[in-house]
Amino acid sequence: MKIHNLSKEEVFRSLVTTYQGLTEEEAKKRLLEFGPNEIKETRKTPLLIKFLNQFTHFLALLLWIGAGLAFISEYLHPGEGMLNLGIAITGVILINAVFTFVQEYRAERTIQKLRGLLPFNVRVIRYGREREIPARETVPGDVVILSEGMRVPADSRLIETTYLMVNNAPLTGESEPIPLIHEPSDGDLIESSNVAFAGATIVSGNGRAVVFATGMRTEFGRIAHLTSAVEAGLSPLQKEIVKVTRIIAFMATFMGIFFFMIGHLIGRTFWENFIFTIGLIVANVPEGLLPTVTLSLVMGSRRMAKKKALIKTLTSVETLGSVTVICTDKTGTLTRNRMEVKEIWTPGGQPGSIGQPEVDTLMEIARLCNNASFVDGHYKGDPTEIALLTAAREAKASIVYQRIAEIPFDSERKRMTTLNAVEEKVFAYTKGAMEHILPLCSRILMHGVPQPLKETSKKEVTETCHSLMDRGLRVLSFAYREMGEREPCEKVRPEEIEKDMVFVGLMGIEDPPRPEVPEAIRKCNEAGIKVVMITGDGSRTALAIAREIGFIKGDPVIIEGHDFTKMTDRELQEKLAEKEVIFSRMTPKHKMRVVSVLKEEGERVAVTGDGVNDAPALKRADIGIAMGITGTDVAKEAADMILLDDNFATIVNAVEEGRTVFENIRKFITYIFAHGTPEAIPYILFALFKIPLPLTVMQILAIDLGTETIPALGLGIEPPEPRS
Amino acid sequence: MSARTHPAGLGMTYTKILAAVNEHLNSEVSARYAHHLAQTTQSLLYLCYIAEKGVSARDFTGAEEAVKRLFHKAKESGVRVESVFDSGDPVNKIKEIVRTEGIDIVFAATRREDIEKRFYAGTVSRKLSLILPCSVALVRVVHMGRIHPRTILVPLKARIHHISERTYFTAMLNRAFDSKLFLFHAQKKITKFFRGELHLTPIEWEKKIPHDILRFIDHLDRYSVRHEKRLTPGSAGRHIMIEAASKRHDLIVMGASERSLLHSFIWGNPVEEVLRETPCDLIILKPRYEDT
Repeated sequence: MKIHNLSKEEVFRSLVTTYQGLTEEEAKKRLLEFGPNEIKETRKTPLLIKFLNQFTHFLALLLWIGAGLAFISEYLHPGEGMLNLGIAITGVILINAVFTFVQEYRAERTIQKLRGLLPFNVRVIRYGREREIPARETVPGDVVILSEGMRVPADSRLIETTYLMVNNAPLTGESEPIPLIHEPSDGDLIESSNVAFAGATIVSGNGRAVVFATGMRTEFGRIAHLTSAVEAGLSPLQKEIVKVTRIIAFMATFMGIFFFMIGHLIGRTFWENFIFTIGLIVANVPEGLLPTVTLSLVMGSRRMAKKKALIKTLTSVETLGSVTVICTDKTGTLTRNRMEVKEIWTPGGQPGSIGQPEVDTLMEIARLCNNASFVDGHYKGDPTEIALLTAAREAKASIVYQRIAEIPFDSERKRMTTLNAVEEKVFAYTKGAMEHILPLCSRILMHGVPQPLKETSKKEVTETCHSLMDRGLRVLSFAYREMGEREPCEKVRPEEIEKDMVFVGLMGIEDPPRPEVPEAIRKCNEAGIKVVMITGDGSRTALAIAREIGFIKGDPVIIEGHDFTKMTDRELQEKLAEKEVIFSRMTPKHKMRVVSVLKEEGERVAVTGDGVNDAPALKRADIGIAMGITGTDVAKEAADMILLDDNFATIVNAVEEGRTVFENIRKFITYIFAHGTPEAIPYILFALFKIPLPLTVMQILAIDLGTETIPALGLGIEPPEPRS
Repeated sequence: MSARTHPAGLGMTYTKILAAVNEHLNSEVSARYAHHLAQTTQSLLYLCYIAEKGVSARDFTGAEEAVKRLFHKAKESGVRVESVFDSGDPVNKIKEIVRTEGIDIVFAATRREDIEKRFYAGTVSRKLSLILPCSVALVRVVHMGRIHPRTILVPLKARIHHISERTYFTAMLNRAFDSKLFLFHAQKKITKFFRGELHLTPIEWEKKIPHDILRFIDHLDRYSVRHEKRLTPGSAGRHIMIEAASKRHDLIVMGASERSLLHSFIWGNPVEEVLRETPCDLIILKPRYEDT
C-alpha cells in the first residue's frame, strides 16, 4: 500500500496532518527531522583531495623518492648538482599532477541544472491560512496550493483538483500534459494519476496536495542522486596508464638497485653509484607521457568537433574508440523524425480512397483529435500529429468545430481523446495504439454505417495493423463516439467517454531512416560493435525499421517494456548476450538498468539520451551521448559527448576517430619507451666501463619533457590507417 | 528474555516488542513498523513515551496523541498492545522497562543529530544500541509515501553475526508487508599489482559469494521468503544507495555497524553513509540473540 492507494482521509491520517495544514511549530519540527526540500550533490571526494591524489599515485611516489634522495645527497655531499636534480624531479611531479588533474576535472553542473527546475517559492496552508514560503521549507504533511504556471515543489498526493493538467517532462520525458485527479488509484506510485511530482509544471487548472516526500527523497531527487552518485569508472586509457606506470616503476627500481649493487661489486664509490642509480631511474620514467597523451586527446577532440561530435571530457576521445555496445534511441537518431502518412486503411473500403465516408470520418478524427497547428504557412507541434494534420488538410477542406475538452495522450494509456462540437452534435474522437483503441469499440464503421464489431472484423483490423507495422510504419487507430448531449467539462472522465466507440480505420505513418545510418550500422558490424535499439515504438515497427537499416539480419531478441520490468537481472543478462537485441515500448527510466547490466558483463557502453530522466544512464555509461538539437540542458550536462546533429552516423564517425586516437597513443607510447633504452644504455656503459657520461640527468629530463614531446605529438595526429 | 521457539523449529521469535514514541513524526512512523512486526509475530506491543525533563506541554500532548493513535490502530488490527508513560532519561527508563518486562526488541527512530554527528558519537541512537540488553531496530524515516514496503533491500556483509535473528527479523518484516527481498552484497574489488582492477561478470562474482551470505540465504529459504540476490564490486555505502535509488526500493534493512570509531574514521563507515543519504526508509538492526 502506498500513498496513492489511500483515500483523502487516510492520507491526512498517514501524514498526521489536516486539510488546514500543519501548524508553524509542527512544520519547523518536521523541517528539522526531514531536512530542507532541496536538491544537493551526494558527498564526493573534495577537489583538494582529488588534486592531492595526483601526488600520491605510484609513479609520483617513485619520483618523490628520487627527489628526496637527491635532496639528501645534496645535504650530505654538496656540489654534485643534486639540488638541481631534486628541484627538476619535483617540477616534473608538479607538471604531471597539474596536467592530469586538469584532464580529469570537469565542473559538475548537472545538479545545478536540476535545481533550476524546482520553484523558489510555494503557497501552502499553515494552520488554516494561506501563505507563501520558500520552497526549501516545504515539509511532509504540508498542504500546497497548485496553480497554473507554477512548478511542483515536492512529491505530493492530490486532495483537490479542478481541471488540473501537469507536464511531467522532467520525470517521464513526455512533453504532453496529463490530467491529474484526486481519487485513490492503483498501480505504481510513479505512474499514479493522483500524485504531482517535484519538478512537474502545472499547465492548467488548480488543486491542493499534501506533500509526502521532499528534497532528495522525491522522484526528482532520485534522478539527481543517481546522476551525482553513479560513475563510469576508469577509462581503458587510464587503466592502461596505471598498468604501464607500475611496470615502469618496478623495472626502474629493480634496475636502479641491481646496477647499484653491480657498481658496488666492481668497486665504484658510493656517490658515483648513487648518481648513477638516480640517473637510471629518471631515464626510465617517462616524464613526458601524460602531457603528450593530453595534447593528443585535445587534438582528437578538435577533429571530432569538426564532425559534429562535441567532446566534453578529454578521456572520452579514447574511450569512444573502445566502445563495444551502442544503446541508441530510434526516433530522431536512427530515423529523421519527419513523419509522413503513407497508408490509410478503412474496413471494407479500397485502400485510402478519398471520398469514401469512412475515409472522410478518419480524416476528420485525424484533424480534430490533434494538437498540431498550421500557422503562417508552417506546421507546429509533435511530428506524428503534424503528419496527420498534413494528410487531413490535403484530403478535406476546413471543418467548423469547437473543441470542448481533451483527454491527452500519455505513454501508459497510449491514446488521446478530444470532445468536439461539430454541426450541433458532440463527438468524442480518439486516436492511439490499436491494442488500446480496439477494446474500447463495440461497433465498426462500414460503408458509412456503424455496425456491430464482430470477431472476424477484429481479426481483420489486427492483421492489417500488423502487416502495416511489419513494413516499418507507425500505425495509429481511430475511433469516435457520438455523445448524447453537450457534456459539461466537469464530467470529462476517460472511463465515461472512451467506451462503446465506433472503430473507423488505421493510418500508417512512416519515419524514414536517415540515409547515412545503414552505412554506419555496417561499419559497426565490421568493427564488432553491437548496436542495441531502445524505442518507445511497438515491436513490429521497431523490427521493420531495424531490418530496413540493416541493423537486424537474423531473428532478434525483442524485449517489450512490460516484460523488461518483470525480468531479473540474470534473465536480462542472458537476453543481452544475444547478437541482435531490440527493446520496444520502453521509457527512459529503463535505460540505466540496461547500461548497468551491459557494463557488469564487461562491455564498454555508449548510450544516447535527451531527457532529464536520461541523466543517470548518461552518467553510468562509459560514454553518455546527449542530443544537441532535442536534448535538455540536464542531459547535455550529464553527457560526455554532445551530438550536434542528433545523428547516429556521427556517433560511429566519432568512434572511428576514437579508435584512431587510441592507435596513435599506442604508437607514441611505444616511441617514448623506445627512447628510454638509448637514454639508459650510456648509463650502464658509464657504470660498467667507466666511459664518460654522455648525458647528464638534467639533459635526460630536458629531452623527455621537451624535444621528445613534439615527435610524439606528430604520431598522435596521424590519420586512420586504411583498412586492408 | 522472553523469546520463544519458532513453531517450525527455526530458532527464536519475538514475543514482546517495544516502540519508543515521542512528539516527532518519525517516531510515530517508526512505531508503525513495530506494529506490523508485532502483528505478524503475534507479539505484545508496548508503546512507550518517556517525557524528558523540561518537555513543553505542547510536545507532551503531541506525543500522547501519537501514542493514542498508534494504540487504537493496533487494537483495530487485533494486536495486543500496552501503553507506557513515564518521565526521566529516555535511555535509562527504556532500559529499565526492557529488563522488567523482558522486551525482545526495541524500535526507535533516529534523530537529526544521528545524521549530523559522525559515527553517532554520544547520540541517543548509539546509547540505545549500546546500553539496551535486547535487540534494537533504529528506524530512519525519510519517505512518507511508501506506507507498506513492496520491495526491501537487504545489504549483507561478508561476515554476518547473529544470522538466525537477522533472517528472522527480515523474514517477518517481509511477511508483514508481503514484499519481495533483494539481497545485496558489495564485494571488495579484485586488483593485481601489474594488471590493475580485474573485471568479473556477475556469474563469476556469484562464485565468490561469502559463506555467511550462503548461510543467510539458507535460513531465509527455510522461511519460504521470495528473494533475489546481487553482488557488485565497489564501496558498500555508495553502491547500496545506488541500488536502492535505481531500483526504487521502499525499505533498506541492514545490520548495525561493528566497526570501531578509529576504523570508521580511517576507512569510513557504510552504515553511516547510508544513514545520511538513504533514498528510502532504513532500519538498522542491532541483534542480541546469539546463533544457536
